[in-house]
Amino acid sequence: MAPRYDAIVIGGGHNGLVNAAYLARAGRRVVVLERRDRVGGAAVSEQIFPGFTYSVYSYVVSLLRPEIIRDLDLPRHGLHILPLESTVTPMLNGDHLAQWGDHDQSRRELHRHSPRDADAYDEYGRLMQWMAQAVKPILSMIPPDPASLSPRDLLGLLRFARHLRGIGGVKLHALHKLMTMSSADFLDEWFETDVLKATKSASGVIGTFLGPRSPGTAYVLLHHYMGEIDGVFRAWGFAKGGTGGVSEAIAGAARAAGAEIRTSAGVTKVLVRGGRAMGVVLENGDEIAAPIVVSGLDPRLTFLGLLEPDVLPPDFADAIRRFKFRGSSGKVNLALGELPRFTCLESVGDARGPALSLRALRGAISISPSVDHIERAYDDAKYGEFSRAPYMDVVIPSMIDPGMAPPGKHVMSIFVQYAPYKLNGGWTDAKREAFGDAVIETLSRFAPNIRSAILHRQVITPADIERVTGLSEGNIFAGELSLHQLFFFRPAHAWSRYRTPVGGYFQCGSGTHPGGGIMGANGRLAALEILRSA
Amino acid sequence: MGTSARPEPVTPGAAGAPSAPSAPSAARAAGARGARSGYDAIVIGAGLNGLTTAAYLARGGMRVLVLERRDIVGGSAVTEEFAPGFRCDTARHDVGWIPLRIIRDLGLNDRHGLRLVSWAGEVVAPTRDGDFLLLHGIAERTADALRRFSPADAGRWPAFAARVTKLAGFLERVYAGPAPQVDSSSLTDLARLLRLGLGLRGLGRKDMVEFLRSATMSVAEFLDDAFECDALKGVLGAQGVTHLCQGPRAGGTAFVYLHHQVGRYPGAFRTTLFPLGAIGELARALADAARAAGAEVRTGAAVTRIAMRDARASGVVLASGEEIAARRVVSSADPRQTFLALCDPALLEPDFVRAVRNIRYRGVWAKVNLALAELPRIPGLPADGKSAGSVVISPSLDYLERAYDHAKYGRVSEHPYLDARLPTLTDPSLAPKGRHVMSVHVQYAPYHLRGGAWDDAARDALGDRVVATLGEYAPDLPGKVLHRQVLTPLDLEREFSLPEGHAYHGEMTLDQILWMRPVPECSRHGTPVRGLFLCGSGTHPGGGIAGGAGAGAARAILNGG
Repeated sequence: MAPRYDAIVIGGGHNGLVNAAYLARAGRRVVVLERRDRVGGAAVSEQIFPGFTYSVYSYVVSLLRPEIIRDLDLPRHGLHILPLESTVTPMLNGDHLAQWGDHDQSRRELHRHSPRDADAYDEYGRLMQWMAQAVKPILSMIPPDPASLSPRDLLGLLRFARHLRGIGGVKLHALHKLMTMSSADFLDEWFETDVLKATKSASGVIGTFLGPRSPGTAYVLLHHYMGEIDGVFRAWGFAKGGTGGVSEAIAGAARAAGAEIRTSAGVTKVLVRGGRAMGVVLENGDEIAAPIVVSGLDPRLTFLGLLEPDVLPPDFADAIRRFKFRGSSGKVNLALGELPRFTCLESVGDARGPALSLRALRGAISISPSVDHIERAYDDAKYGEFSRAPYMDVVIPSMIDPGMAPPGKHVMSIFVQYAPYKLNGGWTDAKREAFGDAVIETLSRFAPNIRSAILHRQVITPADIERVTGLSEGNIFAGELSLHQLFFFRPAHAWSRYRTPVGGYFQCGSGTHPGGGIMGANGRLAALEILRSA
Repeated sequence: MGTSARPEPVTPGAAGAPSAPSAPSAARAAGARGARSGYDAIVIGAGLNGLTTAAYLARGGMRVLVLERRDIVGGSAVTEEFAPGFRCDTARHDVGWIPLRIIRDLGLNDRHGLRLVSWAGEVVAPTRDGDFLLLHGIAERTADALRRFSPADAGRWPAFAARVTKLAGFLERVYAGPAPQVDSSSLTDLARLLRLGLGLRGLGRKDMVEFLRSATMSVAEFLDDAFECDALKGVLGAQGVTHLCQGPRAGGTAFVYLHHQVGRYPGAFRTTLFPLGAIGELARALADAARAAGAEVRTGAAVTRIAMRDARASGVVLASGEEIAARRVVSSADPRQTFLALCDPALLEPDFVRAVRNIRYRGVWAKVNLALAELPRIPGLPADGKSAGSVVISPSLDYLERAYDHAKYGRVSEHPYLDARLPTLTDPSLAPKGRHVMSVHVQYAPYHLRGGAWDDAARDALGDRVVATLGEYAPDLPGKVLHRQVLTPLDLEREFSLPEGHAYHGEMTLDQILWMRPVPECSRHGTPVRGLFLCGSGTHPGGGIAGGAGAGAARAILNGG
């Protein structure tokens, strides 16, 4: 009897859904199997506290590839991205630094802190935009294998080399520095304002177990500029209805294309016979057959969790075992009875004050007053403790999407780093609450009314992320985004192109090139690779 | 004796310096000498690189003058009396890899009396509980020593050592030639890149991938993947941060670790050719070789300025006011001093000056030299002193990381990483009979102190801290100290012209190597100033390779500079 499906996608996270949508659009009969009772993976909206919608884990939509939005016609399926246009960093001295979507406005604000930096800002911006443009094609490139001698790989390498050489000397050297330096050192070459360097370098450490002074953190600075160069600010923002809105839209597109999506259908095993994937076994014991199985899970689960140990070549299994997860971040979601009042914004004396405050709360508030603040936060984590005074990225989605909370009330999403998965003594309920307390304590230094404004608090540790979403060690990117785990090393050399040593078994999660974030590129590129081969 | 001359010393993949210059270029230079008066080249600084450059240039037929500010040649690799009757390598006691090619080309051992031994390389690494780990030059012996700590690690050691040797061997090949260029479209460079790529492929598929993957990792990750024993990872990890203002958990420190393994014997830890006696012997032999080839070496001659005429370097001006003309000036000083102090920065492009200012130095080491009344009792060090006399205090990766934490915020490590040597165990003539010398590399002591300065009080505090730390592992040591010399990063800068105290004239990090070292315009030893060249360790292949940059500079000059 012929199987009912051409392909099974394991995991209904955003990449699994994108993958299914592309396969279905190509006429394949696809079923998506999701363990939880809802799709989205780490991109879900939930009402944990009545009336308040939290983007429980992932909270901003960054870098969602424009070609995916176009191909899948996501706006028609309900995707509505609301712009996130500013980042305000409160400082310890009561002042603040604001960065706006508008370059000139940011420059004027920076001038207030340092005329020299304001001058450098233009040149820096030009260089970064230029480099972002140079790197962007790599995100849509299926990585070549540098050790292979196959014509396809040699051609890919040649194309890659030509792309790099086409960049030209001066900029290639700048790119070299960006790829190999620490964000703190890289920014030191440009700026003197510590709070600016702190806020920018914070983005370089997200999802890694590194501090801002560690080499390898600078290149993430580019991401910010990748969102901007299209002139599409929508690339950075909130999805209406929370991050789950993105997943729902993609799921809608997949269904419309004919894909079937089953929730509460956890997969326990991939069936392999004669080196080929034949189908999957569900938690309830059911077997579903299909000649193609695609895993949207992280590499550890994909290979060590779903397969029998003996089907993988030992070298490959070793490489997967060495793949680093090291979850380093947590999340605190708050239901607020009133808006937080940030001292640094309230204290702006002139008439701009109230307007500035409201405007700032529509964007991100970065708790990164100094490079040392982030570095010390990292120091705690290095030795197995959560940061006593963590770095935080705070957003209030209800400011621009009022439906997220009852009238006059708000939801606040706090991304927190560092919270090591491997906490000394392990994560317990008491440790979780202590972690939440450290977050609120740190935040209250800048917004003293925060404590009294809290109606409900949800604290999520890396252990919780792992337990609920399945992401190993709670790593939000399904594997650390460090240089040795990118491009043709993601997740393992020779298997960076969505295939696996098991015939008919593919991978499409964030643990593949080009990595994490709600980008969707992994799911799309994997689909292209599958369609090429089958 | 811990030193033992191996019958046939072999450096893996032997390379690292140019062969003797080709006949045509030598003839050309010799012709020039016959036709014109004055020097063909002035070399600023008689460190190992300056002397190497001078020796090669002189052998190539050039008339060469070396000018050294101090009264002794060797730069930061000198053996001096630091207390009455006690001598040691005052600044650096380990110059890293001495490429065999340089020794042979310049006849250092056969004609200039350099006695080389392969240092058998036992390294004693005491642990915090009074135990010790012994690393040996022979992989099997290290494995034996490890068994007590971790049978699993003992089993893994030989394969690990072999893998590291392979990966370092690749670097060695890269270091043997000029820095590859990635931005040039010339066919030669393209061919070289291709060769390098093929070399990389020649490593074998697995090794090549391993090299690319490892280079950007932290040394902690690199070691955690292989071992479980803290003492082992501590002592190995220390090599990943030596002369670097980073901790072992920082990205790219695995590369630094591999860099420090270049030129080592297969399967060995830190074992390489070493001059018998003290390091100053190497400089002496190099100076002899340079002189024998016709170069003049003047000490006590500080250069204060590079003279310019018709927009090119025309000679130098000394502190005495004396001006010496030459057709070329080759500076072994670091790039910042060369361009911003010896040249007039106003004559250089602003972008270039900015790039030079952005070179990271950030010296993090200090040196403490101790005159000891007698041999202290150190766990692992035989009472009869039959040992190479090398002791490393870095009992775990966390210990190293915490030591770095202090430096990160501009303070001296409370519990520093120490690399101590007892040179009197192999050369008793360095101290009065029965007495001993201990030379201690101290890290981290940041050049840039926050909220303080390197004054006498800070220097004394540093000395106290080092002796106290040693006392934790060798309780009788503090009582045996007769004299001590403490060189802070500021002292190292002032006395040995090490910029910010950095022994390598700039950190050896992934963003400051190959075509990026010291800045792209100068990565092949030429500079934007016509007639001015760089030959110090601030240039490719960088620090930790004795004479490597000097030989590369000489080759660049003889090939048409």
